[in-house]
Amino acid sequence: MNKEAPLSIAERDFILNALREDVRLDGRQADQFRPLNVSFGEEYGHVKVQLGKTSLIVRISSEVTKPHDDRPFDGIFTIALELTAMGSPAWENGRQGDLETYVSNVLDRVIRHSNALDTESLCVLKGVSCWNVRADVHITNYDGNLIDAACIGVMAGLQHFRRPDAVVKDGQVIVYGVDERVPVALNITHKPLSVTFHTFDEGKRVIVDATRKEEQASEADVVMGLNNAGDVCYLSKFSGSPVSAMVFVNKSSVALEKVKEINGIIDKALQADLAKRAKGGLIEESRATNDR
Amino acid sequence: MASPLILLPGDEVPSEYLPSNNSAPLRLGAGLRLLSQPSSNPPSHVITATQPGLLSTDNKRNAVSILSTPNRRYLPTPGDLVIAQIHHSSPDYFHCMITPQAPQALLGQLSFEGATKKTRPMLKQGDLVYARVLSTGLGAGAEVELTCVNPATGRADGGLGPLTGGMVFDVSTGLAARLIKASSSSAEQQDGVAGLVVLDELGKKLEKAGGFEIAVGRNGKVWVDCANGGDYAVKATVAIGRCLSTIDEHELSSTDQRKLVTRILREMKIES
Repeated sequence: MNKEAPLSIAERDFILNALREDVRLDGRQADQFRPLNVSFGEEYGHVKVQLGKTSLIVRISSEVTKPHDDRPFDGIFTIALELTAMGSPAWENGRQGDLETYVSNVLDRVIRHSNALDTESLCVLKGVSCWNVRADVHITNYDGNLIDAACIGVMAGLQHFRRPDAVVKDGQVIVYGVDERVPVALNITHKPLSVTFHTFDEGKRVIVDATRKEEQASEADVVMGLNNAGDVCYLSKFSGSPVSAMVFVNKSSVALEKVKEINGIIDKALQADLAKRAKGGLIEESRATNDR
Repeated sequence: MASPLILLPGDEVPSEYLPSNNSAPLRLGAGLRLLSQPSSNPPSHVITATQPGLLSTDNKRNAVSILSTPNRRYLPTPGDLVIAQIHHSSPDYFHCMITPQAPQALLGQLSFEGATKKTRPMLKQGDLVYARVLSTGLGAGAEVELTCVNPATGRADGGLGPLTGGMVFDVSTGLAARLIKASSSSAEQQDGVAGLVVLDELGKKLEKAGGFEIAVGRNGKVWVDCANGGDYAVKATVAIGRCLSTIDEHELSSTDQRKLVTRILREMKIES
């Protein structure tokens, strides 16, 4: 019973027939995303992403720990994603489904393995202490394209997050509270985002940002991870029917365009939030002290 | 008519709001329950709400029900029209899904118009049926039973039976209830109670494109088919779906609904 509801035959046929006429259920173009809204909470690293009816909350947190023995110069960065019953009645708490494994794997590859967050900058004292940055993804509503939405959320969160300042004095690590010293932004090397394509009709129709119904009706999906410079950091075609190589070639330019567009939206939201915080915020306060 | 009455679960329905027609028995619709009060002398009955919403009465049918808020959870009530999806079939029954993550409902293999052992419809997994809730059973583990015929006449009134082709759109249960109400009540009542003119408007505009068929299920599903639409069939169906989901998300007045229909039809490039 706790499974995604299968599509009816009528729905599946209709979605396919409509795509053959270049019509999508919500009137979008084949390579058009749903309206994206990125907003930030009161604390640093608290992001809410709304992509059409898919919505999620990302919370970035940090603490000081001991680094791994084999990597004494590196900090630790983990992305935790759990599909709970909060997001969809088809998911069960505490039981890992295929979708959960898949999405966490892609997030790990696109963001963590591409070194979007420079983990070396998280080192405080070699082999003794480092920062452990953790990104928690909570899905609050599911209507398809979880991968892209989660990617947007984590990347926006990393750019928004400020960790407390820490210094080493006489071999002692001192962590300053956020009200003592201005917290430090994380060191982001590049801003990769994923774009998921779904194929229909033996690979002849390719769409981005599929809704839940479109995802269920599709035959295969292709995920591309790119950054603003057009470097491809991830490419996958896990399951489903074969996809011709030309799809990858043609659609990578679409993906780049989308990544630039989404990064633009994130930057705009970040700047708006910074401007809001600058008024009467801690940064302003500390600057006033320095002036005196 | 008196001013609209909003009830919360547990609220009693004041007797002055009930239909005054005493010749026929009073019919209770969704969201209302008859409770007896044995403590009072003589024992009396009160009608209480089990869902929050607007009380709506129908004097002609001597019926009263609660027009629920636009939530997404559907609880089967006897007499409701629903769109169910066949999950699997067994020798006596089709096992249907009314809502995806809820226990399946039963639909008798012979509960179709004119069905006999030899002429019953062969439905596959994933087929859709327009059915009426016959009974919901009592207590835990009770099974919901559906039917595609009127048990009294043996006829499929109101288009009950298998739905072929077309597309299903998900809407809130509140909107589904309003759509049913808007289509069943007379024109002068409509603006006051439901205020939904979208289907009338779509019907007028799409007449040239071949018209459309629609079936509204109380479980928040709307089936739309434009079989005579020719080239416009797909676009018209999508346009209807978009109109319904927009109205579901935003509270629109009659004029705004008409504007929305015109705008979406223009966007979808359908001539009207």
